[in-house]
Amino acid sequence: MALITEKATKKLYDHPLHHDHEAENILTKETDQVVSGSEAVILSLIEEGVDTIFGYPGGAIMPIYDALFHYREQLNHVLVRHEQGATHAAEGYAQMAKKPGVCFATSGPGATNLVTGIADAMLDSVPIVCITGQVAEPYLGTDAFQETDVMSLAMPITKWCYQIANPDEIPYIIAKAFYIARSGRPGPVLIDITKDAQFKEMSVPFTYEKRKQIKGYKPASAPREKDIAKAAELLNSAQRPFLFAGHGVLLSEAQAELKTFVEKTGVPVAGTLLGLSAFPSEHPLYVGMLGMHGNYGPNVLTNQADVIVAVGMRFDDRVTGNLERYAKQAKVIHIDIDHAEISKNVPATVGIIADAKAALNELIPQVQERTHDAWLAEFAKCHEEEYQKVIQHDFTAEAERIKMGEVVRMLSEKTNGEGVIVADVGQHQMSAARYSTFNKTDSWLTSGGLGTMGYALPSALGAKMGAPDRDIYAIIGDGCFQMTIQELGTIAQTGQPVKIIVMNNNYLGMVRQWQELFFDNRYSFVELTNPDFITIAKGFGIDGHCCTHADDLSASLDQLINSEKSYLLEVTVEKEANVFPMVPSGAGVDQIRLE
Amino acid sequence: MKRRYTIIIFTENNFGLLNRITIIFSRRRTNIESLTVSETERKGISRFTIVIDYDENKIQKLIQQIRKIIGVLFVFHNEDDQVFYGQIAYYKVATQNFTAREEVMAIAHRHQAKVAFSTDDYVIIEKTGKKEDVITMLHLLEPHGILEFVKSGRIALVKDQYRFSQYAKNIGPEGWYSDEEFHELKDPERSAGVSY
Repeated sequence: MALITEKATKKLYDHPLHHDHEAENILTKETDQVVSGSEAVILSLIEEGVDTIFGYPGGAIMPIYDALFHYREQLNHVLVRHEQGATHAAEGYAQMAKKPGVCFATSGPGATNLVTGIADAMLDSVPIVCITGQVAEPYLGTDAFQETDVMSLAMPITKWCYQIANPDEIPYIIAKAFYIARSGRPGPVLIDITKDAQFKEMSVPFTYEKRKQIKGYKPASAPREKDIAKAAELLNSAQRPFLFAGHGVLLSEAQAELKTFVEKTGVPVAGTLLGLSAFPSEHPLYVGMLGMHGNYGPNVLTNQADVIVAVGMRFDDRVTGNLERYAKQAKVIHIDIDHAEISKNVPATVGIIADAKAALNELIPQVQERTHDAWLAEFAKCHEEEYQKVIQHDFTAEAERIKMGEVVRMLSEKTNGEGVIVADVGQHQMSAARYSTFNKTDSWLTSGGLGTMGYALPSALGAKMGAPDRDIYAIIGDGCFQMTIQELGTIAQTGQPVKIIVMNNNYLGMVRQWQELFFDNRYSFVELTNPDFITIAKGFGIDGHCCTHADDLSASLDQLINSEKSYLLEVTVEKEANVFPMVPSGAGVDQIRLE
Repeated sequence: MKRRYTIIIFTENNFGLLNRITIIFSRRRTNIESLTVSETERKGISRFTIVIDYDENKIQKLIQQIRKIIGVLFVFHNEDDQVFYGQIAYYKVATQNFTAREEVMAIAHRHQAKVAFSTDDYVIIEKTGKKEDVITMLHLLEPHGILEFVKSGRIALVKDQYRFSQYAKNIGPEGWYSDEEFHELKDPERSAGVSY
């Protein structure tokens, strides 16, 4: 028996759970100072402030689930229908609740099913902590039942991962995992715990201390003065400055700072796909979205700006197109918390390695109050051109079928741009990104970096649980819907009201669009024979209906919005519509096509 | 253009860190020419010496990816003229008779190598030096019949002591520095040029 320090004993005794006389199972622990590894996991999560877990039990994680049973009053466990759903739900939860999402899965297939969601969280910098069971230590490496080398699988797709075989490590490692997941550039963390470590008792009393720093890792937070001065100088002399707002603005909660900064400098703002809703889309300085299917002005004028301020974004290839033709004339001020992003794709004139909020706060007093009316007028001109050639056509049904843009715009109007839009991946995602109005921040979730079909349904559930007072609208394509359709069962079981819109065109629309444009109309395996989605939803206990005619759209959306419970609205949309504008693959941003 | 780089990494001595580091290379389809890892004189801290041929325009990005790994204390890259480096080689040479044995030992003596071990049938010669020296030695000993040959990966010391100490500060006993200092600690050379 190891030393029991006075501090440790006291802390254990003071633990709120030990005075909870309601929960009978905890009472027995009041005098018992030694806990098992699995109980240590649960206690650590409670100490860390976790209230919701998305998971799926199985052989190697059963001791943890047994411990969870005793704490089911404190920890809300959501039983998903597939482990991928757990990771996406945790992502949605994390982004709305502003704290790491937590997943449980068993060893072997449970862990491998997590992989897609973890990779998604890695590319989109979403903090999630995944806890997987593992076969007992003596069985490691013996091809035991449900054994996979989860560590090796997780290594390239996690920010950090660790295998625990000694229960004494559990509180320390879980504290470290949460610190790593949420600090710096957030990301997914995986902890693999062997079954014997879950069963065994800790040799020391349970104590938990939240981590504030760890060796070998120190995320940047404050910017350097000389970088700030240089950036301010560049910006103060700029004639055609342009600001890109990325996911980092939302992650560091710098929306107010961004607004102050932009209003002072008069710089036009464009959002990246993941940066949407960081800046109100109705603001006069907001000019639209960047990227392959972004707005015409932001793309074309990127190549005419003299100073670009990139805040919390990473110049992804879907934003830049051909790098040889990207913003060669511009001086780039790149603010990112991740050192490795500075000058990775686009050379930075000034690199500010810092939290977006801290950097903007430092910059605000040093920049001059200016306006750029002529420059803004160019954006307005581009918008007018885009409106004439693209936008107005996206809003009006020509044939009997409804257009995606119309659905998105009408939803935004009816919800006053205050709902949370969770978009899946494909044409409907681009329509949702282009035509949603965001009057409130943190109103947009989607799978950006990995482009994971099936993301939206589970993520919408997680988002609802992370922000119960917000209305969540999942916009999903017919292809995507069928990738995680089983999570309708999870939604029904939790009773959370999630509003689902399925845009059905009986095609994998984005792939079909590429086949039409770049593969001479050879539609290779993109047509779907779909089931009756409404019947399926009803089978899960979720009400819904199908809207097939533009005249019924308004009433249908009202029914969806006003429903007290989860609701599925299927909209049959135009079969072979294309999303424009588009920067073709390999082209520069200035070669964007409007038709 | 590709150049030869010696990457020096100090890390915590953790499970899986080697794997995380090699993933950085394999993901970019980069072949590691040599890799040497061992614990340093400080307990719990490992030193990696990795030799690769890599595009000079991309090496900085690669280093930054390694720098990002949790558990990496510091990392920097060197060209060959910035480090003193070498490797060790063992040659097991057949010695059927006394004359042969004398000749082998004479060759070793002439090339600053030593006889590390011997039995009736063979001697083991130990040679340290640059790759060329090691290979020259191999050719010289070949006529006598080489039964087994092994050479280690490169190990290297940084020639510029100031530069090394700037990086090594990061594993100082004080542990942590202010954010301002930390930027320079992680990559002291960054503070030299504004544009990078």
